[in-house]
Amino acid sequence: MAKKPVVNHMGKRETLGRHIIKNWQLYLMLLIPVVYYLIFRYTPMAGNVIAFRKYSAGGEIFGSGDWTLRFFDFFGKRRFRLTLLNTLRINIKYLLVRFPATLIFALLLNEIHHLRAKKLVQTVSYLPHFISTVIVVGMIKELLSTSGPINALIALRGGAKISFVMKPEWFDMIFVGSGIWQALGWGTILYLAAISNINPTLYEAAEIDGASHFQRVLHVTIPCIMPTITTLLILDIGGLVGSGGAFEKVQLLLNGNIKDVADILSTYVYDLGIGSKTPSYSMATAIGLFEGLVNLILLTIANLVSRKTAGSSLW
Amino acid sequence: MNRAEVKGTTAIHNNPVRIRESRGYRTFTVFNTIIMILISAVTLYPFLYLAAQSFSSQEAIRDGLVSIWPVGFNIDTYETVLKKGDFIGYYGNTLLYTAVGTTFSLLLSAMLAYPLSKKSLRLNRFLTPFIVFTMYFGGGMIPNYVLMTRLNLIDNLAAFVIPSLISTYYVLLMKSFFAGVPSELEEAGEMDGLNKFGVFFRIVLPLSMPIMATMLLFYAVGYWNNWFNAFLYIKTKAKWPVAYYLKTIISGTNDATQASESGGSIAANLKSCCMLLMAVPIICVYPFIQKYYVQGMMLGGVKE
Amino acid sequence: MKKVLALLLAAMMILSIIPMATAESTDSVGVFEADGYTYGEKFWSDEPVTYTIFFSDASWYPMVDTWKTEGVFEQIRKATNVTLDITSYDSNDYMSLVALDLGTDRCAYIIPKVYDESGWVDGGAILPVSDYVDKMPNFTWFYNTYNLKADVDTILRADNKFYRLPGMHQAALQDYTLMVRDDIFAAAGYDVKELEKTWTWNDLCDILIGVKKYMVENGMCEESDYIWSDLWCGQSGQGSGGYLCKLVGNSYDVASGWAVGNGLRFDFDKDQWYLSSTSENFKEFVTVMHRLVAEGILDPETFVQDDSVANDKFFTGKSVIQGFNRSQLVTWMDGLNKGLGEGNYSVYITVYPAGSNNYVAENTRLENGVCISKGALEALGEEGFIKMMRFVDWMFYSDEGYILTKWGPEGETWEYAEENGVKIKKLLPGFKCGGLGIAGSDEDVDIRLKWGYACGNYFYAHSNALRGDNLPAVVQDYDIRYAEYRDQMPLSPATVLTPEEIESTGLIQADLIANINAWTIQFITGQKDIEADWDAYVQSCEEYEAEELVKTYNDAYIRTKGE
Repeated sequence: MAKKPVVNHMGKRETLGRHIIKNWQLYLMLLIPVVYYLIFRYTPMAGNVIAFRKYSAGGEIFGSGDWTLRFFDFFGKRRFRLTLLNTLRINIKYLLVRFPATLIFALLLNEIHHLRAKKLVQTVSYLPHFISTVIVVGMIKELLSTSGPINALIALRGGAKISFVMKPEWFDMIFVGSGIWQALGWGTILYLAAISNINPTLYEAAEIDGASHFQRVLHVTIPCIMPTITTLLILDIGGLVGSGGAFEKVQLLLNGNIKDVADILSTYVYDLGIGSKTPSYSMATAIGLFEGLVNLILLTIANLVSRKTAGSSLW
Repeated sequence: MNRAEVKGTTAIHNNPVRIRESRGYRTFTVFNTIIMILISAVTLYPFLYLAAQSFSSQEAIRDGLVSIWPVGFNIDTYETVLKKGDFIGYYGNTLLYTAVGTTFSLLLSAMLAYPLSKKSLRLNRFLTPFIVFTMYFGGGMIPNYVLMTRLNLIDNLAAFVIPSLISTYYVLLMKSFFAGVPSELEEAGEMDGLNKFGVFFRIVLPLSMPIMATMLLFYAVGYWNNWFNAFLYIKTKAKWPVAYYLKTIISGTNDATQASESGGSIAANLKSCCMLLMAVPIICVYPFIQKYYVQGMMLGGVKE
Repeated sequence: MKKVLALLLAAMMILSIIPMATAESTDSVGVFEADGYTYGEKFWSDEPVTYTIFFSDASWYPMVDTWKTEGVFEQIRKATNVTLDITSYDSNDYMSLVALDLGTDRCAYIIPKVYDESGWVDGGAILPVSDYVDKMPNFTWFYNTYNLKADVDTILRADNKFYRLPGMHQAALQDYTLMVRDDIFAAAGYDVKELEKTWTWNDLCDILIGVKKYMVENGMCEESDYIWSDLWCGQSGQGSGGYLCKLVGNSYDVASGWAVGNGLRFDFDKDQWYLSSTSENFKEFVTVMHRLVAEGILDPETFVQDDSVANDKFFTGKSVIQGFNRSQLVTWMDGLNKGLGEGNYSVYITVYPAGSNNYVAENTRLENGVCISKGALEALGEEGFIKMMRFVDWMFYSDEGYILTKWGPEGETWEYAEENGVKIKKLLPGFKCGGLGIAGSDEDVDIRLKWGYACGNYFYAHSNALRGDNLPAVVQDYDIRYAEYRDQMPLSPATVLTPEEIESTGLIQADLIANINAWTIQFITGQKDIEADWDAYVQSCEEYEAEELVKTYNDAYIRTKGE
């Protein structure tokens, strides 16, 4: 990609002053957004000191009393270990299903040669991506309720009705299933883009070599989109500890019966802080800090690996 | 010769690029078609079910008679929802918040992303980490809340919009799109006497319609679906957006003491009706900008 | 004044049989008068005044404008000249959002519907209301007349003050019990009215086995059917086993279900707290519960299902026993009449069985309460603040305030009527109230939905007479039988925790209890075996720092006792 070198037309390196004068308009554009980040993103970070000092509801915003590390005791808490494991479990399960599913769906979509039909299926499959989590959870609860269609089907076949959303053994299925429902179509976009960039002569060559259709997919399509696959996979793995978009869904689905399996780090933090009758904002903040740190490290590594192996990265 | 050739029956010979269809491939096509139809059906079914529920009677729903078609067809639910006034009000709020929020979000994100995309801008070495850092570390709920109250950003439009004004992730997407705009064009613009603002507004932005349309959609959907900002910062019920209203009726009651207090619950057909009404605008809009966001995702996405 | 006294007198006469914590003479009633403001006198502010108040808004009867323009808040204004400036939050998020506002300018003066204020005390944003109760004659009268000291002492904080004006009952409210299809019980040869006097949960299980045998023989159900599929234990039980575990657990001295709290019980012999959830009693409790499930009586779906599913089974005769509370009587009678046809069934509200003790589950006479923000004192000044406290006293503790917020103004929504020689309140024609269990036709106006009367932000706690004034005789009847057949559980002694202890136990408690609840249900439904898995269970509780919790409470108890 052609880029202007950091050297001006006279071949000399700019002084800082000249650089600013030359680009003052660009810097002016940055002004409001940067001020926004300073006020609304960085100022609240100062509040993180309450991870080291006790904050009580209605008390001093920077906490009061002695400085302490006791709010990092959460490492010893069984619930912390449990929620960490749950977060990992549901994220891994979700990734293991979603990743191949979107890839296969993209490959299958690519085999639809009727363009309008293909476009229609694509359009339909993108829809859930835009639907609010609140509605998704509402749908889950309606569809799976004991008077819902799934249970009607079970009853029709003589089975006993199941309160799906209250049963721990069904939680993973619900979480992953609804996730796939939302992500399946959307996840194909980058694959389809990569597939459409494949040079058609590669297919022609393969055909001349006598490759069957399936072989062409295996030996041409997949190798060609491998960089995209790797990049996405690496970034996904980098996000495994994070709760990402899971918080809202889990929070709205959570109930006492499934707490053992459904409680994740972000719901734990929520419970400790704003969701509790006797809140410990300080420990909630401490866990939040820990979570941010782990995510930052993992995603930085993922980003580096992705840049090295696939030559692409998020930033 | 390969099997495809031997077994090939109606291969189209006048078009060598066109892939010849073996019998196996035709079988696959049939299966593939069925799979596509199934996926589409599964994707759409929840919406159909909500629609059926919203037109059904409460008794039919309770007895589990509703599956695809309304049972005990009536439009009372819609009348109730639309006449009661609250819902229309929430809807109006959502429209307003979304329109205003999206406008400012687009503007500010572009103003941040464009300079960021200029590798020659020296500040960028610090600026990129400066904004990326905020993707992982925040101040937590309490400090944010305190800040908002101190700035008197409570219970008004700004309070709803400002916390989500700039999404760092979207800025990064826009940045990589802008970086792909040929610099020759910009230079040509400068030759013609445009200043940097002029270049941005007259040349870069018009060339960036795909990413702008994509961001428009993303931000708009984000505001449309957002209930958390309302939960924290919108205090007056009349100012609620639809999403928060839905959240209150869908999460029902979480407190045992309350559950026992009156055994109250909200009828399923009412919930379905509200959910559907909230989803309708999105359902109506997104197909028409599909071209753009697909392009936008491709170009701005994991590339460069 | 006279009217009120007469009413109270009547109440005392009718309900004197109901046990009180300690019966004492009502002569020494303490402060009747404070600064010329006398008990029972109508509160009136000479100039119009506005107080801010939070409001917990329930999505199934949301506040609408008519509440303010003509309903309960306008009526309060007319009665007192006080305008309430309301900040309303959805009931799901109420406590969270109030906690965020504490200490800020946004915090309302009056914070009602608070179940647990312990996390708020340390921040200094709410006032020690006990400093001001001597300015609150209605509160003081009630507190002294019904001897609520021991009850209120349970919410004292480290400085020996309390920070929440609790809702107070004259007598503990045993709201939950069982109702049975006594027609089927009788046909199977069981006389519930006789049996309920002394039966235990094990007896009930035997009886239900007999009832089921009869039902199978007569083709009323299959051998594989459960005949008890209950409500308030599934969705609304929030994974704790809800009301049923509360009742059965209590019969075996175990804190469980809705009443699990922190899992602790007080051992009066050893004079110390212990974790009831890992005691031998707990084994007894889950054993009898599991027996009900294993014998094919109690449907394990009870612990996961929607309340409406349970109701449907009861309405169609598939189950013959179900939980009962006074507020939903109308719903059930409607459902049964629709499902089985009037006259085809008979239902009896029974005294639920005993276990290793003969106690009823309810022993606290406190309800959710009102906190007052520090901002009120700062904004109103000492004098204005005391006036506001008098208003609070009127609104939440006076008979007049109670009747107005529950029923609306006399003559507009209701009137007195005579029924069987007893003076009762009756809604005027054209009105109904689901919240009070008073049914009506579709055209009738629901006084709660329209005007906000009888809503959960005002106390449902009060004197027995007023608390029960919306209930039919059949419901009042079981109160009397309870008093006759069962005993009142003694109150646990006051144990005052420091802010640090509140925080540390709060952290332990939430997680420990979630664990205990999960195991309890698994033991009951047979997913875990009470003998084989017992050690693993106790071990898991230890990992959630159960020992630390018990120790903290016992240390605090010894400290409190010493003071």
